[in-house]
Amino acid sequence: MKLFSRDDPHMRPLLILAGCILGLALIDVREFVTMATAASTLETFATIGLVALGLGLTMMIREFDLSVVGMYSMAGCIAVVMGGDNAWLGLACALAAGLLGGLAQGFIIVRLRLGSVGVTLGGLLVFAGIAYVVTENRALPYDNMAVALYLSAPIGGVFSIRNLVAIAIFLAAAVVIGLTRYGRDIIATGSDRRAAMTAGVDVDGLIVGIFGFSGLCAALSGALLSYSLASASPSGLSDVIVPAAAAAILGGVSLAGGTGRPLGIAMGVLSLAVLRAGFNAIGAPPYVNEIAMGAILLIVAVLDGAYLARRLSWLRRAH
Amino acid sequence: MTGSAEPGIADGGPSAAARRGERRNVVAAVRAAVLVALLAVALSTPGFLSQPSMLSLLTTVSFIGCVAIGMTLITISGNIMSFSLGALTGATAMIFVLAVNWGGFACGLAAALVFAGLANALQGFLIGWLRANPIIVSIAALALIYGVAEAFAAHGTIYAAAGTSSGGFKGKIAGLPVEFVVLLAITAVAQFILSFTVFGRNLFLLGASFRAAETVGVRTWRAITGAYLWAGLFTAAAGIMLAIRYDAASMNYGVGYEYDAIAAVLVGGTVIKGGEGSAVRTLAGAIIIGIIQVVLVLQGLRSEWQYLIAGLIVLGVIALQTQGTRD
Repeated sequence: MKLFSRDDPHMRPLLILAGCILGLALIDVREFVTMATAASTLETFATIGLVALGLGLTMMIREFDLSVVGMYSMAGCIAVVMGGDNAWLGLACALAAGLLGGLAQGFIIVRLRLGSVGVTLGGLLVFAGIAYVVTENRALPYDNMAVALYLSAPIGGVFSIRNLVAIAIFLAAAVVIGLTRYGRDIIATGSDRRAAMTAGVDVDGLIVGIFGFSGLCAALSGALLSYSLASASPSGLSDVIVPAAAAAILGGVSLAGGTGRPLGIAMGVLSLAVLRAGFNAIGAPPYVNEIAMGAILLIVAVLDGAYLARRLSWLRRAH
Repeated sequence: MTGSAEPGIADGGPSAAARRGERRNVVAAVRAAVLVALLAVALSTPGFLSQPSMLSLLTTVSFIGCVAIGMTLITISGNIMSFSLGALTGATAMIFVLAVNWGGFACGLAAALVFAGLANALQGFLIGWLRANPIIVSIAALALIYGVAEAFAAHGTIYAAAGTSSGGFKGKIAGLPVEFVVLLAITAVAQFILSFTVFGRNLFLLGASFRAAETVGVRTWRAITGAYLWAGLFTAAAGIMLAIRYDAASMNYGVGYEYDAIAAVLVGGTVIKGGEGSAVRTLAGAIIIGIIQVVLVLQGLRSEWQYLIAGLIVLGVIALQTQGTRD
């Protein structure tokens, strides 16, 4: 139980990451410890990392942005539809849609005093609907292959433009949250909203801003993924919520709000990415990764259960 | 202007209760206006009242409706929604077909109900007994169900063996598709549970205030486990009916059902925070969404607009649910 003690949430992501790497290395060290595994780990990191960062930040202020799934696929579709001739134009449109969509949701949450799960559920359905409408309900190819190759071309063996972008945004977020007052405001808002308000934190502005950032992150990774896959489909990308939520929680973000930091979330994403790449490398069928992810998420949910300590002591007394 | 029975007016300003009442009147008026407008558009759409269009409407509504009725119990109990009900629908359909092929119809029915009930009740137990987060638990269950199903049925679709076809279940009862009759029956059962049993009353209390329910001595974990158990059983009905209809089963059957179901719950007027709502309302919500889809198709709009319009409606409904309280 010491491993998961609430006193030190920052150790948990590191331990989980180390556990994942050790476990896989023990199974088959020669297949696992290769450059290819490292590169594929970073590709997965780029795919789910930014979504997990945005979602994790909303969880840190005790909200939950369900709409990232819809935003992710909508941004991919918009980028491919608008970026046929000019990839930058498509990217700009996708990012604008992500930022505006996120800000609009944050605004509704703040102004109407609504729970974020409900509002972002509505947002998710709307964004998914827009994705269906702009693609006319089919998978669209992206003909600009040069962009796809450029984004995924290896740099220094394991990096690519796509994963460098994700890493850069994580570092920037870590610096802003670690060194400016925004970090403290976020933790204060997540721990006790009323106290934060009393202490002079602009809670409403913070909420709107974080939802905007979350929309932007989901849109960026959705657009980059669609470019690098050279295709977009309104339904194809929807399984991102499982790894994103799992990564944020593994990264030390608590659903009760008030804990977590970007580098922790990065560790959480890396753990899942290492698992996926590792299972691939040692030749496990794809469902092993899915089951492992579900099991990890379930275990963490149980360990985070509000009544876990109470029930354990009750069980102990019963014996 | 005499005798307007506006309660709670003191010292000139309307009280919070009066303002809330006013708000509720506005919401009710908006809701009525939207319903009338929808009916007018539907009835004036050529072909809407034709038999094929009606039958397809009722059949489509039935599958999602069963899941939505199950979701209603979860939402009312204060646990927002389950993300795993769509996966559970597909998995139940597969279990049903496998068990029917192995031991006949009754065996299939029993296996499907036991599987879905247990799988969901287990989630309810973790959520109720340990107070684990319902969203995370159901997302984990989603990944586990898809993973395990893929491990056992790598090739996707399972077909019913020849001669096991349950033909009698594809007909009509009193002019209605069997699927819709099943949905009506399930709605009745759920509404009975919610309105006339202690368990049902506990669910409303739990959704309104977990702490209050605990204080007055409700065994909260039992009520929550029960809500998920029933939700699993109702979802199983959708899976079984899909399997019977297509004489086959695959994990693709339930994809997205959880979102369609929660949309029906919210459009019907059950409150996302819990503590308020009903099964009959969810049935109405599912039918309203079904009517909108049929009308859009008949009016010649491309089918993908359905998704967007359903999303906008859900967003609007949620925005109208505001009552000035949060958390």
